[in-house]
Amino acid sequence: MSLVFKPEETFRGDYTYRNSDAAILRFPFPFPEDRYMYSVNIEPHVRSGPTDVFHRPFDIDEHYVAECRDRALTLEQDPGRCQALPHMMTAQWDTLELLMENMAADYPEQFSLTKEGDVFGSRWTWINRPLGIEQSFIFGDPDTLPCEPFEYITRQAQGDFAICDQREDNLYLDAGMVTSQADWSLAFNVGMNFMEWHGPVPLAHQAGVFERALKYLLMLRLGQPVRRLNWTMSINPRLDTSPESYPEWGPDRASVTVENAGGKVHLRVELQTLWRLPRSNAILFPIRCFLISVEELARVPKWGKRLHRVLSSLPPELVEYKGLTRYLPATLAWLAPLDDGAELATGIGPDITELAPL
Amino acid sequence: MMQSQITSRPRYRELVAEDTAGAHLLIVEGDTLTPRQMAALAAAFAPVAERMQTWLVSAPATALAPGRVRKLQTVEEAAATLEHMDEGFGIADRLYLQGTEPFMWMLAAAATRAGLSPTQIRMQHAGSLKRRVWCTHCHQTTENVTTNIATCAGCGRELLVRDHFSRRLGAFMGVMVDAEAPGEVPQREEVFP
Amino acid sequence: MIGETLELTVVGVDDIAPSLRHVRLAAADGGQLPPASAGANIQLRLQGEARTWRNAYSLISQPGRRDVYEIIVRRVPESRGGSAFVHEVLKPGDRLVASWPSNLFAPQRTARHHLMIAGGIGITPFLSYVADFAHNGASHALHVCCRESETATFAPWLQDCGDLNYYWDADGHRLDIPALLAQQPAGTHLYVCGPAALNDQVIQAAADAGWPASHVHCEHFGAALSGGTPFTAFLSRSGIEVEVGESESLLEAIERIGASAPCLCRGGACGVCVTGVLEGEPEHRDHYLGADEREGGQLIMPCVSRARSARLVLDL
Repeated sequence: MSLVFKPEETFRGDYTYRNSDAAILRFPFPFPEDRYMYSVNIEPHVRSGPTDVFHRPFDIDEHYVAECRDRALTLEQDPGRCQALPHMMTAQWDTLELLMENMAADYPEQFSLTKEGDVFGSRWTWINRPLGIEQSFIFGDPDTLPCEPFEYITRQAQGDFAICDQREDNLYLDAGMVTSQADWSLAFNVGMNFMEWHGPVPLAHQAGVFERALKYLLMLRLGQPVRRLNWTMSINPRLDTSPESYPEWGPDRASVTVENAGGKVHLRVELQTLWRLPRSNAILFPIRCFLISVEELARVPKWGKRLHRVLSSLPPELVEYKGLTRYLPATLAWLAPLDDGAELATGIGPDITELAPL
Repeated sequence: MMQSQITSRPRYRELVAEDTAGAHLLIVEGDTLTPRQMAALAAAFAPVAERMQTWLVSAPATALAPGRVRKLQTVEEAAATLEHMDEGFGIADRLYLQGTEPFMWMLAAAATRAGLSPTQIRMQHAGSLKRRVWCTHCHQTTENVTTNIATCAGCGRELLVRDHFSRRLGAFMGVMVDAEAPGEVPQREEVFP
Repeated sequence: MIGETLELTVVGVDDIAPSLRHVRLAAADGGQLPPASAGANIQLRLQGEARTWRNAYSLISQPGRRDVYEIIVRRVPESRGGSAFVHEVLKPGDRLVASWPSNLFAPQRTARHHLMIAGGIGITPFLSYVADFAHNGASHALHVCCRESETATFAPWLQDCGDLNYYWDADGHRLDIPALLAQQPAGTHLYVCGPAALNDQVIQAAADAGWPASHVHCEHFGAALSGGTPFTAFLSRSGIEVEVGESESLLEAIERIGASAPCLCRGGACGVCVTGVLEGEPEHRDHYLGADEREGGQLIMPCVSRARSARLVLDL
């Protein structure tokens, strides 16, 4: 897929964000089956997968420039959306290195990284053409960048990022850049351990999901990142659905009708990956958010039908936890006419290569 | 106590002196002291009484306690004293706290700044179930909350008090209760007496 | 940065003491190696004439270096062969396959002070620790118990060590562990790596002195003996029977017949190789399983543990 950015689209105010046909077809649809329940759905993050969203360690798409701008707007209003506890500096450099190396390798027309050495103290030069940035700095010396290294690089990346320090057989959420989250507060959660920050998630604790996931992640290996998909829904293509700004976007949930649900209700999918960081031994947790309106999604017939089935059979605790209560009935009513009840193939791929014209 | 399935809430246990430890410091919130509780503490700490100090915070003048006793007026004074002790803490020392949640977590935060690890701190809840509530919208805290819904002392919004707890802030999360339907505020109930 | 194994070339071998060999390894294709953290190790596949060893060695190179990995290997008299192979056979130009670095003994980033106790070759993870602490300006002290003749051997890696102390087995030169542990400030983390006896002594002394267990860290490097009485293992899923010899581990025997067995540390610490036991009585030698799990007898860690019974049936 060639990269043509849509720098003018917005994720607030007039909400002009839209997906191109190509972006719809590569969407990481999260439901392989007609029912959804929590599981430790973790798999190796290899360079392959059902759509090409999975093919690169850090995917960049047509929304890159607009998402970076939206992040800058959110940070301007609330600088606390990016935090790193003092012991995380080595992990900050790890993150910068990982992102710069992968972006430069996978998108050489957009990014380049030149190094005079690999160890701390070496001079590096980074060029980000889409954002018009050229920066020369000393790897390992935060004073040679305009801000701390984690903030610097994640301002130039899509998706949220958390870094977990590993100690006492647990993972601690000790750094984060969080401006496109599904309603959780970094300022509240920073410093929490794995069980604490997952505390509010219903049903999964009882199923032992987090114990198993934690044990697995503590053994995560350098060079063998893993991934999983998570999902929720949002009204309007809004990246910043934080608890901080809930008073702004909360009322939108009451604005959904059967008529407007297709355009207003968005499926929000997080492609979460987990990386052992090399120098700090911390774990990087990128949470890449993909938004698609129900209307756009339903242009893939399999996905429209399956979404209807998943949402109709969702346990009430999850409906409540994911905040769907007010607008789920209207959304189901919008989707119902599209679902003929035909059997659908297992798996998340679109099973078509072209969309029918609008 | 209101129970939800949220698992970030701390669980508190009866205080037990760890006899291999170095110095023992017990800090008790004065208004939670009853003769029965004091007797229980004295029994629990008898084996280490020689290496022990007890700080009583806002306690009646006549209150008794195990070990060397020091009296402090307010939790703020206790926190400042804890944070700036000349001799500092050793890796083998233990801090024991008894009182309400806001009291204990304010002191735990001060002790952490003084270098103490969470694994050196023991807590036993006593007294009121009142909560400190952190507003997710304006990031101010509201003290002494005993109801399921509280008015934020910072931004004035009506907050639903959730069970999600931050040890670093020593506070529960408060989220605007009528954000989706302005004005629809449920009945306030006294749930943390 | 995705991958599982590395092709390495030996670019230098150097005997730094009668039984210590310093080995330098570079990427066989001349490219960059993955960076590694302080305390990390790599597992080398050492291909002998008759058999293959997979031994894990701590990286002593400066953390994050990508041009070379350095290790130090002590020749163990009772060696099962891996260390003898490194000392007798390995030479510059040889190719080796290695795992990517992994780390089961990383420094605690929240520590206010790092207190390290090394016994003999157990000093190796601390050589990279010291480089890391010096770079980050972290307060640290290293206490080394070694042969008197080896006190200068590691000096090239310890030039930036803030507080370095040597001890050896002679009156007036032994480490007084309880005295060292008695007066440490809050926020100190203690790390020990050495022979099992030293590790046990330090861990016990720390517990006796009231240290919270969360502040005491130990690397059990190759301390677990993997040899013993031969026995038979039956892999129930693949239907294969294998004889486990007296000088190989159960895991090595499983690998020898080509069965796939996930593993990581090969030292009984990480828990990756844990396997179900369907019949027979395990002899546990790992550091991972809890008391309940040991008593239950349903699980075994084949990298170090063996059998009390003549035959084990594994869910593998």
